[in-house]
Amino acid sequence: MVDHHVEIEQLVKTYPGAQKPSVDRVSFSLPRGEMLALLGPSGCGKTTILRMIAGLIAPTSGAIRIDGRDVSAIPVHKRNMGMVFQSYALFPHMTVARNVSFGLEMRKVGKTEIEERVKKALDLVKLTGLGERKVSQLSGGQQQRAAIARSLVIEPELLLLDEPLSNLDAKLRDEMRDEIREIQARTGVTAIFVTHDQDEALSMADRLAVMSNGRLEQIGTPREIFDRPQTDFVATFIGAGNFFSGKVREPGVAEVEGLGELRFSGEAPTGSSVKLMVRPHRLVLDGTGAAGVNRFSGTVEHIVYRGQTLTLTVRCGTQRLQADLPTHAGVLPEKGGEITLAVAPEDVTFIEKAAA
Amino acid sequence: MNQSTPFLGRFAWRTLLVLLYLFLLAPIIIVFIISFDTRQYLAFPPESYSFGSYAKVFANPTFISAFGRSLIIGLVVGLGAVAAGMLLSLSLARHEFRGKGSVNFLILAPFLVPHIVLAVGIMLVMAPIGLLDTYAGIIIAHLGITIPYTVRTIMMSLMSVDRRVEEAALVHGASPAMVFWRITLPLVSPGLIAGGVIAFLISFDEATISLFIVSVRTSTLPTEIFHYLEYSTDPQIAALSVILILISVGVVIAVERLIGLRRAL
Ligand SMILES: Nc1ncnc2c1ncn2[C@@H]1O[C@H](COP(=O)(O)OP(=O)(O)O)[C@@H](O)[C@H]1O
Ligand SMILES: [Mg+2]
Repeated sequence: MVDHHVEIEQLVKTYPGAQKPSVDRVSFSLPRGEMLALLGPSGCGKTTILRMIAGLIAPTSGAIRIDGRDVSAIPVHKRNMGMVFQSYALFPHMTVARNVSFGLEMRKVGKTEIEERVKKALDLVKLTGLGERKVSQLSGGQQQRAAIARSLVIEPELLLLDEPLSNLDAKLRDEMRDEIREIQARTGVTAIFVTHDQDEALSMADRLAVMSNGRLEQIGTPREIFDRPQTDFVATFIGAGNFFSGKVREPGVAEVEGLGELRFSGEAPTGSSVKLMVRPHRLVLDGTGAAGVNRFSGTVEHIVYRGQTLTLTVRCGTQRLQADLPTHAGVLPEKGGEITLAVAPEDVTFIEKAAA
Repeated sequence: MNQSTPFLGRFAWRTLLVLLYLFLLAPIIIVFIISFDTRQYLAFPPESYSFGSYAKVFANPTFISAFGRSLIIGLVVGLGAVAAGMLLSLSLARHEFRGKGSVNFLILAPFLVPHIVLAVGIMLVMAPIGLLDTYAGIIIAHLGITIPYTVRTIMMSLMSVDRRVEEAALVHGASPAMVFWRITLPLVSPGLIAGGVIAFLISFDEATISLFIVSVRTSTLPTEIFHYLEYSTDPQIAALSVILILISVGVVIAVERLIGLRRAL
């Protein structure tokens, strides 16, 4: 049995007066020290889940367990959570240091210990010496760090971050992305962060929980989510892809209309309809020139030069394929030219739970 | 043409402003001048000047004791209206309950009804329960007309408080009472102070309703001025008016300084 630090089970939230639940039977769990990203488009219920975990709103049904103990009866202020709000929500009438010490004061920690821990927290988020500043005298990035320090100083059971990077400009966002990751790793705090940005989720999280319309679509490592999407939604939401509908002829081989035979990875019963996906960067130029299994010849319809890669649109039979080729691949195709593209069977993903 | 028009416009605008200020300030200026007159009747301009009227005001036991009562009533009304305004604002801004619309309207109502009408109503209600000419009676009446103002000012402050900030305090370990004490209250304090000052000044100045409720025991400064004017008109009244104006201005400046100072810190 795996020891789960945080367990969410069949969580449902229907807001009063709402037609349908905003969070619908969501279950997942985190081992201690993991950083999980809740990823999904705006309005899919991510913030609602975070607020239920924090205790700010009550679930309609379902359980939230920490170390195996149901926390639903514990009031917000006794749950020992850290939360970084999208708008930071720092206390505007207090200095940075008072903001950070707030949680410790509430816990009646002794004065000298407070001073020590506040200093340590400010050092951790690189705000050394800015403790006496007013909140309004901080830049957006510094406010973000102050909010993180305020949450971490109490050594929370769980750190919750709601779109922590969305209010920062692009350059700062990249910087803070690495920094949050580093702080989390260093403190070893179990963390859940919400984002609608797939790059952010893929690069920061140990695992991703992809949501749509209140439902959990898939949970897995960035690699699993990217390479083995299990639902249409995950496949289309994360990254670009070529999608094919086919019929399984024999184990691992599907007939795709207008394209031919496609060998894929994954198990689907013979005779069934399947949905398959190939990521554009998994398609490679094939020198042999002959069409065959997982080899498609066609005409280049469109080329976009992107520096490191070349994005081609290739017409193969009745299908259109998108391929990202590295620009150092030798002789590059030209518009109107005939080329052959190939893909390895393990790069053809069978989308298990697709509505085929 | 094109160049003279903006100049003319500016000139007209400035003249208008000066005239407006004169119009607003003229009565005050005239009262101020008359208050130094040595004659025993009100006339303009004075023939000779002295502080005699001021000395008489300070020597007048009726005025002095009425001033004391007005001050106490004003302070109690100010504090009471702020406390009630805080509770009402919180429930209006933070809770959904049935009849919210009616409560909102009831709070607005004193704005809409003329004071003279309110005065008659309050008198008719208070007479049978023995509240006429009592501190309780006048304070309740003044609370009735000042709470709408404190609700307004506190509501405004409360609306500008970010709910997430309160939630952040809650999540990081503050009990709901602590959140109120450490976060909400400090953040709405400008509204509390503004509301309290307005309530104090309204109570301190109020004559219409007070005239119907008070008599000898709890007479306030405005009602004493009114009664004094019924029998005599001399520069004492002008001197007293100047003192009242200075008190009001003093309170406003003091508070401005206070809040201004707090912001600067
Ligand atoms: N307080 C609320 N009352 C009613 N509906 C809400 C409330 N908060 C959020 N919702 C609804 O619940 C859904 C999920 O919202 P939210 O959790 O904020 O999504 P996300 O954070 O993923 O953008 C949305 O459709 C939103 O309109
Ligand atoms: Mg959200």
